[in-house]
Amino acid sequence: MLEIKDLHAGVDGSEIIKGISLSVNKGEIHAIMGPNGSGKSTLAKILSGHPAYETTAGKVTFDAKDLLEMDAEERSIAGVFMGFQYPVEVPGVNNAEFLRMAHNARRVSAGEEEIDPLDFDELLSEKMKTLGMEKKYKERNLNDGFSGGEKKKNEILQMAILEPKLAILDETDSGLDIDALRIVSEGVNKLRNNNNALILITHYQRLLDYIKPDFVHVLSKGKIIKSGDKSLALELESQGYDWITPVN
Amino acid sequence: MSDTLEKLTEETAFLDLHKNFVEENKPNSALSAIHESALSRFEVLGFPHSKHEMYTYVNTKKLAATAFAVSSPSEKIDLIDKHIYSGCENSCLVFVNGVLDQTLSRLQAIESSVKISSLEEKDDVDTLLVSLENENDVFACLANAFCADVTVVEIPDKGQVAVPIQVLFVSTGDTSRPEMHSPRLLWKVGKLAEVKVIEKFVGMQEGYFTNMVQDWKVAEGAGVILTQVQSDPFGAWNFQKTRVHIKRNARFHSANASSGSVLVHNHFEVRLEEEGAEVILNGVSVLKGKEQVHNFIRIHHEAPQCISHQHFKNVINDEGRSSFDGTVIVNQGAQLTNANQLINNLMLSDDCHADNKPNLMIFADDVKCAHGATIGQIDEEQLFYLQTRGLSKKFAKELLTRSFAESIVQTIQFPEVVKELNNTLLKKLEVENV
Ligand SMILES: Nc1ncnc2c1ncn2[C@@H]1O[C@H](COP(=O)(O)OP(=O)(O)OP(=O)(O)O)[C@@H](O)[C@H]1O
Ligand SMILES: [Mg+2]
Repeated sequence: MLEIKDLHAGVDGSEIIKGISLSVNKGEIHAIMGPNGSGKSTLAKILSGHPAYETTAGKVTFDAKDLLEMDAEERSIAGVFMGFQYPVEVPGVNNAEFLRMAHNARRVSAGEEEIDPLDFDELLSEKMKTLGMEKKYKERNLNDGFSGGEKKKNEILQMAILEPKLAILDETDSGLDIDALRIVSEGVNKLRNNNNALILITHYQRLLDYIKPDFVHVLSKGKIIKSGDKSLALELESQGYDWITPVN
Repeated sequence: MSDTLEKLTEETAFLDLHKNFVEENKPNSALSAIHESALSRFEVLGFPHSKHEMYTYVNTKKLAATAFAVSSPSEKIDLIDKHIYSGCENSCLVFVNGVLDQTLSRLQAIESSVKISSLEEKDDVDTLLVSLENENDVFACLANAFCADVTVVEIPDKGQVAVPIQVLFVSTGDTSRPEMHSPRLLWKVGKLAEVKVIEKFVGMQEGYFTNMVQDWKVAEGAGVILTQVQSDPFGAWNFQKTRVHIKRNARFHSANASSGSVLVHNHFEVRLEEEGAEVILNGVSVLKGKEQVHNFIRIHHEAPQCISHQHFKNVINDEGRSSFDGTVIVNQGAQLTNANQLINNLMLSDDCHADNKPNLMIFADDVKCAHGATIGQIDEEQLFYLQTRGLSKKFAKELLTRSFAESIVQTIQFPEVVKELNNTLLKKLEVENV
């Protein structure tokens, strides 16, 4: 599904991603861990088409299409979703309306008709319920004044509405209390099937207790320095990154 | 040297015009007193030079140099119905070319609750004369000198006006011979009375200068909700001076939506005269091409425990221009004042321009005041966020600019006006297909 080959990228001429290769197949869950500033979010943003980053070498294909050639909205329509580490507040744009517009953008591009507003409202209510979100978040403006945890829930709500093929969740667990973490994880698990895939960026093993990864990668200074199965996450939890990070 | 000469001729042209105006209109003695006082004030002030305090950001040279005619009152027009909001069909005052048109105005719904008359009471004349003595806006002086009448609208004590009153200012316009129109109103809102007013400015074609002046006397405990919609064609000047006096526990809430033109100038002077008085001034403009909107605001906190809120937003594209020059003056003794002032500009092009001068002058010590101004472009992170959810860049941009302006439009209390602005003012934000 996703094929990253020797990707080099950065901003304003300074390289942040320094040669990453990774392949993600249907049905797989990959966890990416690594110290602060190692380039995890940058990788996620590059994959979702952030205009600030420049690719200097390498290739990324998604369903055999050149992902890097596509605009952010095209990637979304194609089925890529990023849950932001820091979801952006958009005052003045109603949350429910925004979700409906996003849902419709996908439907229209698939040649379907726009959803009936009442049907959408029902769909939204149902998804919100599974995430333990109160109705009032429909009325609120997009992430405007949301607490850290509320923002993360709202990201997963968007994922549930958009049903992406590939979801990249950047530290969705940070900011969630222990109950919310369980509810959100269950929500994510419900969305899983054999045709979609998940990349989880996290610092904590506890998320991986709920959403069990098939692979764990350690990113350090813009490179994947170690890959393994979920036992690697346990080792990292107890020993930190020092034992695998190269000196300098 | 040549500057002074030129200036003199400009002012002389208006003085000459006034002679014709008086001959044609034959004002009564009450009106003559206003005219004379205004004219002498006009001569003292003169047209603004480049560093004029009130017109720092506004170039009025071309306006002052224009050879205006004054309106010929016989002008017959129809087709005003489309400018009357639903709900105001029987509560509208229609000014044609600056003069109240009795046949087009329809007052059935408010006849019993509102008294509308021409200036005659000595008290009213004195009120206007006193305010003229302190008038420092030369264009407001001009409007007072050239008004064909003063329309006095009075809501008696405890009067509740059931329907909104619409005041429609319509100008016929003539590019070959532009006219100057000077509608003049005095609003007297009695104790504990409530009134809602929508003022709308339109023109049939370009080539006119609407120069409106109104005074609001808001008595104890009264409430006023004023909405202004400026939608003149591009080649029309629109100036207004709105002076508001607010007494104990009275409220004056206003929202101005300006579509801009070659020059729009909104001047608000508000005096919170007794304890507990409250004013809200909101404004929004959406400018394209070479459109301009300028706001000049002075709010005087003269008594303790008064509240003033101002929030102005401008969306400026192309070579549009806006300015905001606003000062809140908190007098000595106006303790427990609560004042804030916020201006947000969204700049959509490299050639657009916004000047901001928010200002607080505080002479009391126990006050809560805040002010701020922002000038920004579309937030790239917001744009990216929306795009990652599948919204096209064009649509996402439109959504962001629209929501920026909408927050002010939504403060307008008349659904009919909001609906109209959605289809006019906010429509201007739609990005044309490239
Ligand atoms: N737009 C940018 N401009 C300049 N530097 C940037 C930019 N984006 C990222 N960087 C730098 O790239 C490096 C990697 O940042 P990134 O956010 O990808 O780290 P991360 O692995 O997600 O860290 P964390 O665990 O703290 O979230 C950091 O040094 C960061 O400062
Ligand atoms: Mg990060």
